[in-house]
Amino acid sequence: MLSLNIDLLANGLIMGSFYALMAIGLTLIFGLLQIVNFAHGEFYMVGAYAYTLAALKLGLPAWAGLPVAFAVGALVGWLTERTLMRPLYAGYRSWGPMKDEYAIVVTFALSLLLINLVDKVIGPYAVLGPGLVDVARIPLGPVMLTGQKLIATIIAFSTIIATALFIRYSLWGRQIRAVAQNRLGASLAGIDTTKASSIIFALSGALAALSGGLLAPIINTTPDVGSFPAIKSYVIVVLGGMGSIPGSIAASLILGVLESFGAVYISYDYRDAFGLVILIVVLLVRPQGLFGEKGREV
Amino acid sequence: MKVLEARGVTKSFGGLKAVDGVSFGVDYGELVGLIGPNGSGKTTLINILSGHLAADAGEILVDGKPMRGLTPLRASRGGIQRMFQLTRVFRRMPALDNLVTAGCALGMALDAAQARARELIEELQLARVATLDAGHLSGGQQKLLEFGCCFMAQPKIALLDEPFAAVHPTMKEIMAGFIRRRHAAGQTFLIVSHDMPVIVELAARTICMNAGEVLADGETRKVLVNPQVIEAYLGGEAA
Amino acid sequence: MRSALQQRLRSELRTSLVLLVLVAAVPILVRNDYWLGVLIVSMYFALLAGGWNLLAGYTGQFSLAPATFAMLGAYGTGLLAYHWHVSPWLTIPAGILVAMVVGMVLAGIVMRLRGPYLALTTLSFAEIMRIVIGNSYGFTRGDLGLSIPTLMNDRLAWYYVFLAAVVAMQFGLYALLRSRVGLYLMAIRDDEIGAASRGVNTVFWKTASFTLSSALSGLAGVLYAYFSSLVSPELGLLLQTGLVICMVFIGGIASLAGPVIGAFLVYLTSESLRAVGGVQLIVFALLVILIARFFRDGLWGLARRILERPAR
Ligand SMILES: Nc1ncnc2c1ncn2[C@@H]1O[C@H](COP(=O)(O)OP(=O)(O)OP(=O)(O)O)[C@@H](O)[C@H]1O
Ligand SMILES: [Mg+2]
Repeated sequence: MLSLNIDLLANGLIMGSFYALMAIGLTLIFGLLQIVNFAHGEFYMVGAYAYTLAALKLGLPAWAGLPVAFAVGALVGWLTERTLMRPLYAGYRSWGPMKDEYAIVVTFALSLLLINLVDKVIGPYAVLGPGLVDVARIPLGPVMLTGQKLIATIIAFSTIIATALFIRYSLWGRQIRAVAQNRLGASLAGIDTTKASSIIFALSGALAALSGGLLAPIINTTPDVGSFPAIKSYVIVVLGGMGSIPGSIAASLILGVLESFGAVYISYDYRDAFGLVILIVVLLVRPQGLFGEKGREV
Repeated sequence: MKVLEARGVTKSFGGLKAVDGVSFGVDYGELVGLIGPNGSGKTTLINILSGHLAADAGEILVDGKPMRGLTPLRASRGGIQRMFQLTRVFRRMPALDNLVTAGCALGMALDAAQARARELIEELQLARVATLDAGHLSGGQQKLLEFGCCFMAQPKIALLDEPFAAVHPTMKEIMAGFIRRRHAAGQTFLIVSHDMPVIVELAARTICMNAGEVLADGETRKVLVNPQVIEAYLGGEAA
Repeated sequence: MRSALQQRLRSELRTSLVLLVLVAAVPILVRNDYWLGVLIVSMYFALLAGGWNLLAGYTGQFSLAPATFAMLGAYGTGLLAYHWHVSPWLTIPAGILVAMVVGMVLAGIVMRLRGPYLALTTLSFAEIMRIVIGNSYGFTRGDLGLSIPTLMNDRLAWYYVFLAAVVAMQFGLYALLRSRVGLYLMAIRDDEIGAASRGVNTVFWKTASFTLSSALSGLAGVLYAYFSSLVSPELGLLLQTGLVICMVFIGGIASLAGPVIGAFLVYLTSESLRAVGGVQLIVFALLVILIARFFRDGLWGLARRILERPAR
């Protein structure tokens, strides 16, 4: 019984670390523009395909697929910002509620576009990426892990830490935070806000794509595979306080563990609904998110 | 008889006391000016009076009756009409229909509201832009439109938050003339403004706030020469 | 004297009725069951699009659950018909009622939420409903769906039933929107705090809008259930909601004519492009992005701007 629980905890934390890698990008974008990017799951999907196809079609070694996924994700994120997000900054004030509508519709349509584009170009059938390592089972105390999971988790954790450090201490990171807090003020202070936005979207795409690459050998990749990680990310962003990075990392781990236990102790069939119920409850109790602050309205 | 009364109203944001133990009343037919440096709590006070914010302490009385849990809807239906410092109009609706909406929401029939809106838009000299979506009006025109919305039905009291800010003298005169005529006919007003000449001209009584507290309350001329008021306005930043 | 708004609505109603008259005449020329079916499904989407437009376009509540309410309506009907063989006279109103009641409850849940928060909550709600229905094998038969007896085997009869529903919806929405209720809804859309300050009972009218919109979706779902004699969780897929949003945006959001135009245009084109091989959704997604970026009021808005250009 105890060993089952430890196993559940470990697997929950592992899942949570992938969720965190996914959700940080969404959090960054929310912090920047107060919009939800409904194409976020497709950044993941693009990464998963990039990783898999780099190995299967280009014959690259599996580990080389990860930087490929990262780069392709960054490119897609950057293009999204260039082509779709720019109108949101111009006349930011005059948009009013149209801003939310525009952002939802455009990112929703982008998601449709990417799914169907990939479906058309690559095909609808599922592909499984090559593993990073061949080691089948590694006992870690009472917990049994596949080599792939262990290595992917290590990479995910290091990337999360690297990203957090980057945003906290690097010059770019500081500029990003300034822009997220006050776009106008940052531009008056001489920060290139457009560049900062590009970086955020590129980073957001890259991180989601990387988690796609890491999970490609574990979860079958199909054109619509992005919907599951995307929905987890929404839950996490809400739980984590809409825009807070430490908050979303904590929320990811909590969600991972919660789902892992819930699937065993509550219901396996409805496991994907737990997070969604939590999301609704959190927004009901605190419409500004669990750790968010309410701005001045009147 | 007092239309509106505040008793010891207090509101803090975090550690900041935006409104601190404010008490005053407005009689029927009065026109009261509300002045004070930026950040002195005028808008916050208006927000509490109109139900947009809940006070931490103190009470609001309308017609002598204490109001518990005042909401914007109840305030509006109870005859407390307000204008916002940052203009709020219905941007994707023609200007005229903004007025009609306000009329209908306060119980007028659609036809009656439309007729009344046409009169009002004439009086405010916005007839030229009546069919334009309100979002396409100029900033000043939007202010004037929102101003008009307060007077679709006869309000008990109109709370106007900076109606003259960033408005051209011609439009300011339209608004001031409107206020003068209504006031002469018995309408009650509470007007926030940084525009001293207009306050002197319109308001017989003025309240001055500073750092959330009422600094002075009385005849406008006397309030404006009150050394504390002068200190707050001129020395506020230096202190 | 009519206001600018009422004139706008009138011309929108007229345009959509012209389109629907054309649709009514189609069976004179086309007797092909396949194409009649395609048009029926277009009308199913027109009901969803019209209902969602009331909520999103006119009330500003950008829900991501229109398809979910169709699914709920269909299951309300389907479960009664499948398990207890209840008469259609009861199952049809029951299905609509289920959608309405759930819509009302959802309105209460999201009452204080706006923008992205509202979108996320309605999306979660939609997914929860689909997961629950799709996994409750014992009661709903899960992904297999419920097969129920159809009411009529005549495709043409179904064609006119759907058409009647769409026409009724257009007249109903017209009457609603040109009254003071239309003003309240638009006021809420443009500025909720402002609306309350002017005396609009925002809680009541938002709830009403949600309820009515869900009822229209529910009606669509109920009709579709009996038409296809199959009720499955696929009705509530997010993709279906995506289609509805595409239709409304392409046709023209916040107009009476736009959603109907969009529904026919998108679905008919989509069926025609099917032969070309799965490019239809790519085309629509691109179209929606272009429309959202460059002319936000869709094809109807474009047409209106051309028509209304001052003649000289
Ligand atoms: N929602 C809020 N959250 C935090 N602080 C607030 C909020 N609303 C007001 N404040 C603070 O309360 C104080 C009073 O603000 P208020 O808007 O009432 O001032 P004001 O007298 O209307 O100023 P102005 O003349 O500039 O309009 C300010 O310091 C402001 O920062
Ligand atoms: Mg103020």
